[in-house]
Amino acid sequence: MFPIDIRPDKLTQEMLDYSRKLGQGMENLLNAKSIDTGVSPKQPVYSEDKLVLYRYDRPEGAPEAQPVPLLIVYALVNRPYMTDIQEDRSTIKGLLATGQDVYLIDWGYPDQADRALTLDDYINGYIDRCVDYLRETHGVDKINLLGICQGGAFSLMYSALHPDKVRNLVTMVTPVDFKTPDNLLSAWVQNIDIDLAVDTMGNIPGELLNWTFLSLKPFSLTGQKYVNMVDLLDDPDKVKNFLRMEKWIFDSPDQAGETFRQFIKDFYQNNGFLNGGVVLGGREVNLKDITCPVLNIFALQDHLVPPDASKALKGLTSSPDYTELAFPGGHIGIYVSGKAQKEVTPAIGKWLNER
Amino acid sequence: MTSTNLFNDDWLELQRKYWDSWTDMSRKAMGPDTETKTTTPWEAAMDQWWKAMAPAVPDLSRSFMEKMMEQGKNFFRLADTFSKRADEGKAANGFELWTKTLEDMQKRFTGSLDDSGNGMQRLMSFWELPLDNWQRMMSSLSPMPGDVLRNMPHDQFKDSLDRALSAPGLGYTREEQSQYQELMRSAMEYQAALQEYTNVYTQLGMKSVERMGSYIQGVIDSGKTIDSARALYDNWVACCEAAYAEEVATPEYARIHGRLVNAQMALKKRMSILVDENLGALNMPTRSELRTLQDRLQETRRENKALRHSLHDLERRVAALAGEEPAIKPATALRSPAPAAAKAPVRRRTTKTNPAD
Repeated sequence: MFPIDIRPDKLTQEMLDYSRKLGQGMENLLNAKSIDTGVSPKQPVYSEDKLVLYRYDRPEGAPEAQPVPLLIVYALVNRPYMTDIQEDRSTIKGLLATGQDVYLIDWGYPDQADRALTLDDYINGYIDRCVDYLRETHGVDKINLLGICQGGAFSLMYSALHPDKVRNLVTMVTPVDFKTPDNLLSAWVQNIDIDLAVDTMGNIPGELLNWTFLSLKPFSLTGQKYVNMVDLLDDPDKVKNFLRMEKWIFDSPDQAGETFRQFIKDFYQNNGFLNGGVVLGGREVNLKDITCPVLNIFALQDHLVPPDASKALKGLTSSPDYTELAFPGGHIGIYVSGKAQKEVTPAIGKWLNER
Repeated sequence: MTSTNLFNDDWLELQRKYWDSWTDMSRKAMGPDTETKTTTPWEAAMDQWWKAMAPAVPDLSRSFMEKMMEQGKNFFRLADTFSKRADEGKAANGFELWTKTLEDMQKRFTGSLDDSGNGMQRLMSFWELPLDNWQRMMSSLSPMPGDVLRNMPHDQFKDSLDRALSAPGLGYTREEQSQYQELMRSAMEYQAALQEYTNVYTQLGMKSVERMGSYIQGVIDSGKTIDSARALYDNWVACCEAAYAEEVATPEYARIHGRLVNAQMALKKRMSILVDENLGALNMPTRSELRTLQDRLQETRRENKALRHSLHDLERRVAALAGEEPAIKPATALRSPAPAAAKAPVRRRTTKTNPAD
């Protein structure tokens, strides 16, 4: 028996359906026009170089804002509107609904003039000045910090170097052990001459990072997903959602060269949180200096930051109050899935409010 | 033609007729001489269809739609390949036929199947996706379209080029000659690295065909059949992704991947040196000089910000001692409305050269 029974008439029908969906869906694509992202109202409250610190407006009906502000530190890779990508899928909205006074750092798009920015400039410079701004504005000694992915690693470094300014620390999909066996990105970067790359390019182009991320699952991410998309084309809302994600995926800022050099060498190549040797502003980062409560959230199907890479944080800090939250989803789903809206953000808000 | 009447019922009816006539053609094409047929009427139909629609589509949506078209072709191509064999299966041993189909796919990867550049070759172009990604990325970083060194002859000239490049430069232009030799060496190394990287994908293609074979065997053992192009395509993607995931997790792949990126960077660096030399000769600022300035400026700004921070801290302490509020606002206050974060304008090359062409 031949196991594939695709008769010409059936194949023709499939083709006809495919082209019909494509054609009808074109209307929705044409009507999609500009793609809005970052839906919650916010105000710029502080800026420095290309950095803008935003404060989100408290929505009507939200509980009274907590006295301790929450600062979100996003990764330098991709753009932070992932946390607020659409009305019904917004981590920011979820946090506001729990009474958090939410601030977010938008790093902007570094260009060649920012090439010489170091990790020290980001951690002890930009983040520290944003934190000081919040401490002074709110009249508090310490603030709450929420770090996302690479921003989580930044938040860990910051909390270790400035424990007197952090009341609670939340890390989301944050790499801590950069050399777990299932970390493909880490395996690939071991043989790359980072000095040569940074010396050559100055800044590391977003396209190079995109290529790397797409190479993790090239057939699904650059082929199959467009076939799947055809099935969604008849629903204008789904088309817009897809286009929002597409925009986010390819909206990749270049990476400031010196920061990239140090981050890759110290962490991806030398696994600095575990092995030590990360020095910023003349001081070595030691996670044992973190004493505040820590909530560590990771995604069980994360192919960029495997769960074990995040779970390694347990036991590395001196915090007597360490909590883990495992989310059954992926690296992006933890922000945009319907399930995350119901489970993750309320849990963060509850955890913070209790502390 | 406006967007509101582009896809009305009449147009779709015309479409249906077009596909119906294709069905007839397709049936006729599945005669005894199927093996020699290299035309794919459905592919021509899809192209024709897209040609009619494309002018009404804005540029931004067009590239998006083209991706869906191209992937649509990929999965119909796969179905087409197998369904033709299914037709033969009525009169022959089914097991042998699908085995032969898989063998043909493997041969295609090794380049030993001559199908006049049609059918199977284009089906296999699906496996060019990872390489295509590399090429697009290269194109965005290069002043040249695509990856210009990709198809440049390499092996046959390697020895003679090596010899020529090892000859020392002479005379007044010795240094310049030496730099061009270094550039050529870097180009050759990049090309060799790219060749090695490409070879990985050839091997990977064969491994995914093996996986597909195992999957189909599983279907046979279960007594079921695959009856839609989409199911076939989804399983083919799953097989490719599984074979790929296994291979790229090996230390050998990491070495090859690293070699490719390093070779590309080394070549680009050599080019930059030559560009800087020429800019210097024209009395223009060079990239190297700009970087020195950037480093010094950043150092100055860093010191400046640290001093401002210390000053503010001192002012607060003094004010606290005097029992007063600080006289000036913290240096962190927003001085002017922050501009919306905008990506710096960068050159983006959008022209794509299809590696399968």
